[in-house]
Amino acid sequence: MSTTERAHVVRGVDHAAFPTFDPRGTITFYRDVLGFPVVHATCALGWGPGEHPDFIHFFFDIGNGDRLAFFYYFGVEPYRDTAIPELIHRARHLAIHVDSEEHLQEYRRRLDASDWPCELQVRHETVESIYVTDPNGYLMEITRPLRAITVEDDIDANVSVDALMDVTGGDEPTLEKFFARKARLIAERYAGEAELVTFA
Amino acid sequence: MTTLYVLDVDDFRPLAEVASKDPDATVRRRGPYLEVETVGEIRIERGATGCRNAVWYSSVAAVEGGRVSRWDKVELVVEPWGDAP
Repeated sequence: MSTTERAHVVRGVDHAAFPTFDPRGTITFYRDVLGFPVVHATCALGWGPGEHPDFIHFFFDIGNGDRLAFFYYFGVEPYRDTAIPELIHRARHLAIHVDSEEHLQEYRRRLDASDWPCELQVRHETVESIYVTDPNGYLMEITRPLRAITVEDDIDANVSVDALMDVTGGDEPTLEKFFARKARLIAERYAGEAELVTFA
Repeated sequence: MTTLYVLDVDDFRPLAEVASKDPDATVRRRGPYLEVETVGEIRIERGATGCRNAVWYSSVAAVEGGRVSRWDKVELVVEPWGDAP
């Protein structure tokens, strides 16, 4: 069943939550360095099943009504996945949107004036991003659009994920197999529509 | 035939435009894609496209009848099947 046949009524991120063992660093980084307002905090006795620790669940406004939240558990030994390969570490990240280059540079200035300077600034295909590792070791990105996403981009994304479904359903998926499968899908979906193009 | 598809948006159109300078190549519009087709290999020099890194390395939508044999900071080469070492 195609997703387009069903109403798409979700409205973005309510909150994304992560554990922290460094609430002071976390509050300093998000509230004092980046300037994200604190908008909610649940301070609770750990009454749940088993030995749930007492905790503070605190939230920062990341714009658009969306929130970034942390759990701090009292008396729990810090834990960190030290064995995560760099590739996987960098793949897991939160990207926060800004509208303009001016706003991106403003956050870069705030980071560069702090103990957590911007680590990387990249112009990707459709966005430009700055990256920083937060006090918890989480990679965080702030990104601004370089161009509008078009209908063509959306169509291409759907052909891509269909091709990805196909090649990862088979043996030893590769980018080469993906490109070939995608070419078949394009030829099938747009058979007979080819119009000669010349460049002036 | 060797076929390269790029999405017909401002970022990727220069690849089709550069490829079209090869007299053996034809470019057609297939849905939202530009389809570059030739009997031999397709060679696109990056410098001629003006693409920055991230755009260059995400510019290929699909390939049929061959394989990408080179895709680095200098050029993109799509070889027809059979020419590969």
